[in-house]
Amino acid sequence: MKHKTSKVIMGATLSLAAIAVAIDHTQHKLPEADTVSSEEQQDIMESGTPCGLGAAPCSLGEDDALDD
Amino acid sequence: MTDASVQTPDSHHLESGTVALFVIAIAGLSLVIQNITHVRQAMLFLIGVGFGICLLHAMFGFTGGWRMFIRSRNSTGVRAQIFLLALTSILFFPILGGVFEGTSASGAVSPVGYAVLIGAFLFGIGMQLGGGCGSGTLFTMGQGQVDMLLTLLFFIVGATIGSSHLSWWHELGDVGTISLITSYGWVPALLMTFTGLLILYLLAVFLDKRRNQHLQPVFVPVPREKIIPNLIFGKWPLWWAVLGLAIFNLLTMLTAGHPWSITFAFSLWGTKFWSAIGGDISSWSYWQLSYPDHALNSSVLLDNTSVMDFGLILGAGLAAALAGRFAPAAKMTTNKWAAVIIGGLLLGYGARLAFGCNIGALLAGISSGSVHGWLWLVSAFIGNIVGTRVRVVIGLDKPY
Repeated sequence: MKHKTSKVIMGATLSLAAIAVAIDHTQHKLPEADTVSSEEQQDIMESGTPCGLGAAPCSLGEDDALDD
Repeated sequence: MTDASVQTPDSHHLESGTVALFVIAIAGLSLVIQNITHVRQAMLFLIGVGFGICLLHAMFGFTGGWRMFIRSRNSTGVRAQIFLLALTSILFFPILGGVFEGTSASGAVSPVGYAVLIGAFLFGIGMQLGGGCGSGTLFTMGQGQVDMLLTLLFFIVGATIGSSHLSWWHELGDVGTISLITSYGWVPALLMTFTGLLILYLLAVFLDKRRNQHLQPVFVPVPREKIIPNLIFGKWPLWWAVLGLAIFNLLTMLTAGHPWSITFAFSLWGTKFWSAIGGDISSWSYWQLSYPDHALNSSVLLDNTSVMDFGLILGAGLAAALAGRFAPAAKMTTNKWAAVIIGGLLLGYGARLAFGCNIGALLAGISSGSVHGWLWLVSAFIGNIVGTRVRVVIGLDKPY
């Protein structure tokens, strides 16, 4: 695969990704601007980190568990 | 796009047109994100750009470093990673230990159990087959390596499937979360972490010296007149990346309230896509938990991990263009296709089971004082040994 072909593929991929992000963004109503910093930040701070279970991405929150 | 006549420090040609495109994309996207979400998201995006530049300019890859060590006992990459773990721990432990009142942050603390053990092992195999880890896949894809684009695609698929199976894996059992900071206080926890890292460091040095005549240094000095050109156009010594990654991880912690993570976004993107095309996710209990549910039902631009991943990709692309190395020609064989597809699936599935990848579980876990990070390290390394052997069997590498 030539350098130019790689560039074309990457350019197309990034463009498609941008369109997908735009579509996803328009599908969801954002919280009010003046409440983002307080409510959103509080939610994230209390909920932990990305990669874990439930509470937040990278850790397990004590009030969230996978029960079946 | 034309190449400028400027030569980079390693004699490539600066791609000025591509550089301009990436600068415009980064500046534009950060302004868009700030205006339509919040300035914090724009900051996280730019921190992601910083990560991408650090990773690309130093070619700081966990996968390559581990493969070099497994094949030839060259421990340069491994030692750099140990330094990164140590430096990040120094920065995180006081924060997580509550030294700075008013600073609210959470570490990456997850249960120690079969899910981490098996997930990390699968991830380790995937690292070698797919050609990259979490950070490695993103920055090499950002560089324009088409095979890594394929790895990322199947990484996303694997992570999405993993999220649908997660409850089953967690039923296998665990001993709960074990936080050294919570159990012993941050100072003893830091000393214990340093002891563990020192043991690993000495072991790596011992094995390296036993096989090779000379130990390649991590801390390579850069002549003063080359500092600025190398900083901008690459190529960085590994220790520059160690410093940069640790600093940007600290900025992530202070801005987002949690350590740098990567692969949560992949399962989020995949699940959003699957749901958008009519897939039924009602039985996927993981996405009913608070954080995932919130992310799934919000704009992807509000997800910290996603905006940082976008930044990382574009930052790596910018760095690659500055270095004259964007979108290299690629050679894909049948075996390579199979390896990246299977590798990507294992990476994604394994990361979802194991509470993250080399960044979200290994780096974030150990530097948060979580024992699951150490289990991840051991299990993933064993997976890397298997993956390195498989590469030889299928003809991707010569025997060793």
